[in-house]
Amino acid sequence: METVQSYQVNLDVFQGPMDLLLFLIRKKKIDIHDIPIAVITGEYLNYLEDTDKINPAREADFLVVAALLIYIKSQMLLPRETVSDGADDPRRLLVDRLVEYQKIKAASSLLKEMELEEIQKWKRTSPPVFTKEESEEFDLREISMYDLAEIFFHLLQRRENENVHVISGKTFSVEEKIKEILALLKDKGYIEFLEYLDSQPDLEEVLGTFFSLLELIKANLVVAVQENLFEPIKVWLRKGVKA
Amino acid sequence: MSSALREIIECLIFVAMEPLSLQRIKAVLTDYDTGDIEQSVNELLSLYASNERGIQINRSGGGFLFSTKPEHDLWIRRLMQDERKSKLHPASLETLSVIAYNQPVTLAEISSIRGVDASQSLKSLLQKRLVKISGRKKAPGRPLLYRTTDRFLNYFGLDDIKDLPSQDEIMKILDEEKPDDES
Repeated sequence: METVQSYQVNLDVFQGPMDLLLFLIRKKKIDIHDIPIAVITGEYLNYLEDTDKINPAREADFLVVAALLIYIKSQMLLPRETVSDGADDPRRLLVDRLVEYQKIKAASSLLKEMELEEIQKWKRTSPPVFTKEESEEFDLREISMYDLAEIFFHLLQRRENENVHVISGKTFSVEEKIKEILALLKDKGYIEFLEYLDSQPDLEEVLGTFFSLLELIKANLVVAVQENLFEPIKVWLRKGVKA
Repeated sequence: MSSALREIIECLIFVAMEPLSLQRIKAVLTDYDTGDIEQSVNELLSLYASNERGIQINRSGGGFLFSTKPEHDLWIRRLMQDERKSKLHPASLETLSVIAYNQPVTLAEISSIRGVDASQSLKSLLQKRLVKISGRKKAPGRPLLYRTTDRFLNYFGLDDIKDLPSQDEIMKILDEEKPDDES
């Protein structure tokens, strides 16, 4: 190696082997079209050796170019029949790629400036909202099943004192209850979740109603929403659903 | 020319969430003469250009779109309680440059120019809808070809792909970058 390494730069600062090569060429003030291949190969390999952390995915790309450099160096050593006129210069391939990459790097720095300028312009494409929570159908908070369950258990606690030992003998099915809820929704537009459950005559029906509602939510026929925290939960028919 | 037509056009641009093209404006305003429409658009543009307003009309992505002026960014961010908007990763920018200047282009071609595997950055650009698949190359393996999108133009404030920085501008940057050659 011709040069002593007096600096350490992490390979991560480079976008790739081409970026590193360009950096070395610029640092050594080398003409890109007439690269002293032995010097640059030495410098380049030094860099690879200096990296403590090996990231195989990234290293591989760097090694490919290292192999290319060594190949070119070996080609340069071979005697040639004719005086090189540039066309069969083994460095040609590398130079073309470097020139191309250099342009891309410059173009991407221009794009970066444009991005910075544009990012400071606010357009209506950016949603004019203050909060990130937004339900698709309403500007309301959609309630999860867990929220509903929690509220339901509160309600059960409230009705704990009722005499649950009385057997009413009346039976009803979840299907019937679903029909009843849908009819009510069609008529009123929405129902207040807690109020509706509370209005059920006994615990058995409260349970039945709750399961019916869960079924409806699961089937995506209704949606439970809450305008704000601690406000009553309302159950709405989903758009496009016929009762 | 009455100001009514100008006001209508202003409304159309205001409600549009994406750049509104002149073509589209004409298609909506069938009752009006196309010459009058063009004139009104130009009047509107010059009105906004001269006005002391925080809002301006941008010509990007092939149409017109209202935006705030960049110098007021700080205050808007405060209102929105938003940190700086995220920018593209340098690797993505490089991949995007390769695609913009060489389109349509395959992943292998991008990777070859960049000297690194570009599949990750390409994936992220596809997700951001800044690039799209435009077909397959008639070459062994029929690899996918990629192009930039209208969203790309809008994102960088370009009206047309022709408005990308020219070779001259790029060469100028390269010249500026090597002043130590002479020193």
